[in-house]
Amino acid sequence: MPNATRPPRWATRLLSWWSHPDTREDVQGDLLELYHYWVRTVGKRRADWRYCLNALRLLRPLAKQKQSTEYAQPFFLSPDMIRNYIKIALRNLWRKKAFATINIVGLAVGLATCLLIMLFVTHELSYDRYYANADRMFRMTMNGQIGGKELRTAPVGVPAGPALVHDYPGVEAAVRLYQEGTFIVKRGSARFKEEHVVFPDSNFFQFFSIPLLQGDKRTVLREPNTIVITETIARKYFGAQNPIGQTLTLGSRALFRVTGVCQDIPSNTHFHYNIFGSLSSIDLRNTWLSSGALTYLTLRPGYSIETLKAQMPDLVQRYIGPELQQLLGISLAEFSRKGDRFGFQFQPVTDIHLHSDLEGEIEPNGDIKYVYIFSAIAAFILLIACINFMNLSTAGSAGRAKEVGIRKALGSQQQQLIGQFLSESVLITFMALLIGLGIVLAVLPGFNQLAGKQFDLSTLTSGWMLPGIGFGCLLVGLLAGSYPAFFLSAFRPITVLKGNGSALALQSGARSGQLRNTLVTVQFVVSIGMIISTLTVYQQLDFIQSKKVGYDKDQVLIIHDTYALDNKVNALKAELTRLSQVRAVTLAGYLPAGASNTGTDGFQSTNSKGESVTYRNQAYYIDESYLPTLGIRLALGRNFSKAFPSDSSAVLINEAAARQFGWTASRGKNPIGQRLTAVGNGSPESKRTYTVVGVVKDFHFASMHQPIAPLVMIYGADSYQMALRIHTRDMAALLGQIERIWKTQTDNPFAYSFLNDRFNTMYQSEQRIGQLFTIFAGLTIFIACLGLFGLATFTAQRRTKEIGVRKVLGASVASIVGLLSKDFLKPVVLALLIATPIAWYGMSRWLQDFAYKIDLSWWMFALAGIAAIGIALLTVSFQSIKAALMNPVKSLRSE
Amino acid sequence: MKRAFLGEFEEVVMLTVAILDEEAYGVTVTQEIEQKTGRSVGFSTVHTTLQRLEEKGFLASRMGGATAERGGRRKRFFTVTAAGRKALRDVKQVREELWRSLPPQTLQLITG
Repeated sequence: MPNATRPPRWATRLLSWWSHPDTREDVQGDLLELYHYWVRTVGKRRADWRYCLNALRLLRPLAKQKQSTEYAQPFFLSPDMIRNYIKIALRNLWRKKAFATINIVGLAVGLATCLLIMLFVTHELSYDRYYANADRMFRMTMNGQIGGKELRTAPVGVPAGPALVHDYPGVEAAVRLYQEGTFIVKRGSARFKEEHVVFPDSNFFQFFSIPLLQGDKRTVLREPNTIVITETIARKYFGAQNPIGQTLTLGSRALFRVTGVCQDIPSNTHFHYNIFGSLSSIDLRNTWLSSGALTYLTLRPGYSIETLKAQMPDLVQRYIGPELQQLLGISLAEFSRKGDRFGFQFQPVTDIHLHSDLEGEIEPNGDIKYVYIFSAIAAFILLIACINFMNLSTAGSAGRAKEVGIRKALGSQQQQLIGQFLSESVLITFMALLIGLGIVLAVLPGFNQLAGKQFDLSTLTSGWMLPGIGFGCLLVGLLAGSYPAFFLSAFRPITVLKGNGSALALQSGARSGQLRNTLVTVQFVVSIGMIISTLTVYQQLDFIQSKKVGYDKDQVLIIHDTYALDNKVNALKAELTRLSQVRAVTLAGYLPAGASNTGTDGFQSTNSKGESVTYRNQAYYIDESYLPTLGIRLALGRNFSKAFPSDSSAVLINEAAARQFGWTASRGKNPIGQRLTAVGNGSPESKRTYTVVGVVKDFHFASMHQPIAPLVMIYGADSYQMALRIHTRDMAALLGQIERIWKTQTDNPFAYSFLNDRFNTMYQSEQRIGQLFTIFAGLTIFIACLGLFGLATFTAQRRTKEIGVRKVLGASVASIVGLLSKDFLKPVVLALLIATPIAWYGMSRWLQDFAYKIDLSWWMFALAGIAAIGIALLTVSFQSIKAALMNPVKSLRSE
Repeated sequence: MKRAFLGEFEEVVMLTVAILDEEAYGVTVTQEIEQKTGRSVGFSTVHTTLQRLEEKGFLASRMGGATAERGGRRKRFFTVTAAGRKALRDVKQVREELWRSLPPQTLQLITG
């Protein structure tokens, strides 16, 4: 066509953009035709004019395409449609009960696990966040190195707190918490052992926002010998009486007058004291270098902790320098020249629970690592459950292809189909959520016991949690349902309905089969990883418990709180020694497991020439029957003995200490007869010189997380508790006997424990981890297998005809089972290959926390692999065997 | 009985569609109206009216008959539906009744 007869291009373009989409084609055609007509009849100029005018008049820029002129289409989210989606969804679920059950059970278990872990994690993260000034509160800690030994302690010197408030205007307030161990608390004839007693500065209740129910928080702890008690303690000692003005006796300390009652300390606090005595009742050692009190600071708003940190070297110079000179006889410069140092650090109060693991913590803290691990586990379990869901839906998709075809032929749009599939999956999720909540409710007591916490369901229903969970479930439902929804709804009705539906099913099956296999692999990577982790944790626990600890932990009975007997303790000891079942008795304030005194002191070797190094070592005070009672063996020399009066200045050391001081056979030095000087607290009278009389074999006096440290054992006894080596089959009778003897001496409560139990509780957190891992590994594998079972069922159903034909042609049952199972084993084997290095890496990281640990060996991985393959095979074979045994007549008869 | 309302131009367009029988589409309708009535009508007006009549259910349309002149685009052919025919009849009947009820002298005046 010649160029001259073209209408103006801009008008044509406008028309193609903005004319009404429904009539765009014919309008454009009509105008073009008319244009040629006009060119012929009225000339090009007027034709152009008319064309443009008409084009402009026909622009409908806001017009929307009408769906169909034949039938009105309801909006896919209209209430009617949603009601219909739900109805159809329910019908579908009911029709496929097995799949629906697998889906719902799997998701419910997954969600329940997730919720439980969420309870744990939110609780862990909420520690110490409720104080009014939580963001400005810090704890001062000490770190340093003395005699080559790294020292990181939570308590700092007693003068530190007041000095900071005095010297630095940015420090608003400081509070010191002084702990003195447990007390026997007496009121009249009632006496209990109280473990959570503390002596804080008088501003404690202002500092930590703990409300007082009675008493004025500014004055309660001002006077000496006053105490504040918690509600629970008030009830315990005073019942319904008003406790204010009443008195309690704290151990050997004086009478304390109750001046206030506070609320019980919330569980998400890093301390759980219940008796608060005034600090002014205590005669404190006012030195910087002795380990003193836990010290907390509040900074003024806008004052940065970094500023304060920068001041610390200065502070050390000013206060520690002179003290060091007095204590060790060296200047600070000399001290640091030897590589030793001394400093203070500050940790945010909110970080204490999850990030702090120092010497002298108030109670064992949590660990951020486990928060991460459990969050990951929760995510994994949910992922596995979602994968099941996706897999079963896509697997069933071929069966629903026809439905999609017919729906589309009858006028459904893709949006509506997506809506229908998504509402099915969301419905399943919410049913699962209901069941999951039921499960949580049912297992919460058990979970509390396992986690050692007190959770209740109100955490889940309070605040944003419930909407959050609802939203989360909606998301899970949408995500899990998304693949089938978009995949199925995109089917072309013509291909689905043309009759070769099975061909399409095969084709789509192959496509989604790829995805399914990948997802199954992911599931088994997680499951196998969990199995390997569980095995490793248990192996390590077993290793710890069976490792020779260097003492005999069986048949040792510990009687608690013998210090309360004061001078009658020796009489008790003598009486107990007379019992035939008791082999040996020792005063054992220091014990290698469970509640024990701990003491450290600086020791110098006096024999060595030149400058002597001060080592800060653990020190035990023991009597001559300590070693036989605990079954600790001597490597060299002799035990303490009453036969040597000079033993009052004798010490035993362990092999590690001998190595530390350089008294080893390889260096030609005999430790026996060497002399040690204890530095004490710096005053000349606390300085003492000892002679080494024996070397004991190394024994694990701390947990296996640390290597065996040097230990100095000084002759003297600590009557904190008493250890008995016993030999009896009738433990109950012996305990009865001992209790009767105890009662003749004192009316304090009789409490005891066994050394091996105490040893085991040292690894309680590891045991807890082990148990949790077992449960979670079990759950993951359960959910994964549930999915596998569903898939196997589905495959067996789909291949019924094929199996029938094979059987008719002479295939054996075994070959058919093999055929059906083979497909499912591939992803599992692949998963094993992927999981092995990941688990190996993760578990070797975990094991690094232990100074004494197992090696990861190949058999653990093999075992995990075999277990996973075995379980998978078992799951699949149930369906494959069923399919293989079916009478081919049945499957082939109907066509 | 309620009668369908039909505007004057709508009536013209419908009649033209009926006249053109199978050949009624935008272009032919426009040209036919121009020729038969002698008035110059814009294509856009005709198109809009055709659309409106289709929405009212008086016209039905089908696509077809692409030509090179139209750039290969199809035409939208219109036919009068049963409802359309009834509407036309109604309009005609109203007219005739009105004419019939005209007094004879006035009728003479007009026709005369």
